Amino acid sequence: MTAVDYLSLLISALLLAGIYAAMAVGMTVIYGVMKIVNLAHAGFLMLGAYFAFEMYDRFHFDPILGAVAALPVFFVFGMGVHWLLVRWLPKSDTPTLASLLLMFGLWQVLQNIGYLKWGNTAYSIFTPRSLSSIHIGEISLPKDKLVVFAAAVVSLVLLQLIFHRSWFGRSMRSLIQNPYAAQIVGVDDERTSRLSFGLGTAFAGFAGALLAMLYPFTPDFGPPFLLRSFVIIVLGGLESISGVALGALILAVLETFSINVPLPWYWHGWNSYYLPASYQPAVSFVLLVVVLLVLPKGIAGLLEKKWRVT
Amino acid sequence: MAGNLVANFSAGRIRLLLPLLLLAVVLSLPATQLGPNVVRLLFGTAVWITCSVAWNLLGGFTGQVSFGFAVFYGLGAYGAALMINAGYSPYLAFLVAAGVAVLASFLVGLPTFRLRGPYFAIATIGVGETTRVIMNNLDITGGASGLRVIEAGAFRQLDHYYTAIVLAALAVAVSALIAHSKFGLALRAIKQDQDAAADLGVNPYRSKLWIHAIAAAFTGMAGGVYARYHAFIYPGDVFAFQTSISILLMPVIGGIGTVWGPVLGGVIFGIVEEELVVHFPNIHLLLYGSLLIMIILFEPDGLMGLLRRLLRLVRSKPKREHPRSPDPEQVVWGSSRAQGH
Repeated sequence: MTAVDYLSLLISALLLAGIYAAMAVGMTVIYGVMKIVNLAHAGFLMLGAYFAFEMYDRFHFDPILGAVAALPVFFVFGMGVHWLLVRWLPKSDTPTLASLLLMFGLWQVLQNIGYLKWGNTAYSIFTPRSLSSIHIGEISLPKDKLVVFAAAVVSLVLLQLIFHRSWFGRSMRSLIQNPYAAQIVGVDDERTSRLSFGLGTAFAGFAGALLAMLYPFTPDFGPPFLLRSFVIIVLGGLESISGVALGALILAVLETFSINVPLPWYWHGWNSYYLPASYQPAVSFVLLVVVLLVLPKGIAGLLEKKWRVT
Repeated sequence: MAGNLVANFSAGRIRLLLPLLLLAVVLSLPATQLGPNVVRLLFGTAVWITCSVAWNLLGGFTGQVSFGFAVFYGLGAYGAALMINAGYSPYLAFLVAAGVAVLASFLVGLPTFRLRGPYFAIATIGVGETTRVIMNNLDITGGASGLRVIEAGAFRQLDHYYTAIVLAALAVAVSALIAHSKFGLALRAIKQDQDAAADLGVNPYRSKLWIHAIAAAFTGMAGGVYARYHAFIYPGDVFAFQTSISILLMPVIGGIGTVWGPVLGGVIFGIVEEELVVHFPNIHLLLYGSLLIMIILFEPDGLMGLLRRLLRLVRSKPKREHPRSPDPEQVVWGSSRAQGH
């Protein structure tokens, strides 16, 4: 493998990291504020993909515009879900089985609705942009991936601004840090939770629409992305946006490099071994288990510890 | 008057007699000329009950929710299938299936039981999916295209039926024994407060490993029994996330942490799922999802909780002030609603 090969792998890993971060950040917001592991995230991603498809199919919306349009729609949808179901869950500082199962039930319902409406044939969104790419030297960059990456980065920056510059963002952060103290100083727990759930859902729908530009989708489209999102937020320490970006980058690099770079091993002299591509999904899960065991607070926790020591 | 009768029923020796009577009825059912289809349905239900009771040992009694029981079910199925294909007696194969599952349970448990509560639950999702991906790619088991189970001799459905029933009965008996033993008490202590249990001389890590191994043994045997009957297994079925979820769903429907709740859940899941798939092939996921949501929101203790409430109504004893307050279940179901916000 030449240096250019490595560089182009690195760039494609970076592009992948953008969409991974956008996909995982909705889960982080919900986990941070409500300590709910949102298994229905898979359902929201799937609906987001079909939303972009319908917008493209019926109104000839560019999928990027479809993704942006998904934000308000899924925001309202998420607030509705919170109002109808989530707010009745017992409050807790740690994820409860009840919340896991409730969100799992919701995911099943959403998936079934997907099957009823669209059947189980795989759809994909095909625009004139889909097959074209930009060439820089020997490296070629697919336009679709660039556009998706840009959209993901812009959305993350906006989210970061909301988090740090608005009253709503501040109340979310206070709930993440200490729900009791937040309520004492006058943060409306119920309202902030509802808005955060809406925000998390909006981002799931948005990311689903972006994913629809890159991958074919069926109503069973969510699970691999759900588990990846989960690995990412665990890597990122579960409740910070910059942690999510870092986690997404690590997962994307590992996934890209694990199957494209030969591993040296010794058997009658040095050999190289390519991990079969079919093992790629296992990378994230192995990473999940290892990270949970070694770094239960994620990378952010590790840095925090370092800072405290010095 | 009616109240007294009910009280006597539930308090007396009936506790032991009723299960035995039930077992006798179930064992003699095929003699009443049931069609092979009904026997097949009962067989499947018995396999599900075994898994459900096994999950409840870890998830219900000990409070360690696992999303990875398909690992043991699948490994048991493959272990038994390979043994049967090699020409061994199926009953020996089931023991091997249990052995394989127990080994796997230690492999999974040794690292993951260092994690607590929800983190353990999440790690088991990773373990389950990793196992499925590996089995999908493993050559000796036929990879994703699956494995045929070829047993010498004629197919005798009743053999399968009795095996499954005996296994389920064994699982229930072990579960009842554990529930009333000192070990069971230790498990409940771990569920309520792991640190307090450790202070009182319970070793949480070791207890969890043991109960995990027992649960895995039963789940593995159930997988083996299923594989022998089904004669064809593939990773997308026995290792599927859906299988783990089904195994978890049954005790939740029935009522986790009880001896009979998981049995009830297994019966309902086994029979109702079949009916649902037959009559509503398009919306059975939706119905299951909605059922799950309703149980979580309205009756977190499952059907046993509902029954208990009805029984209390019939007895019409003076009500306690807080019908569902300090309750060990709360430890799993989240801190009580009264907590602050």
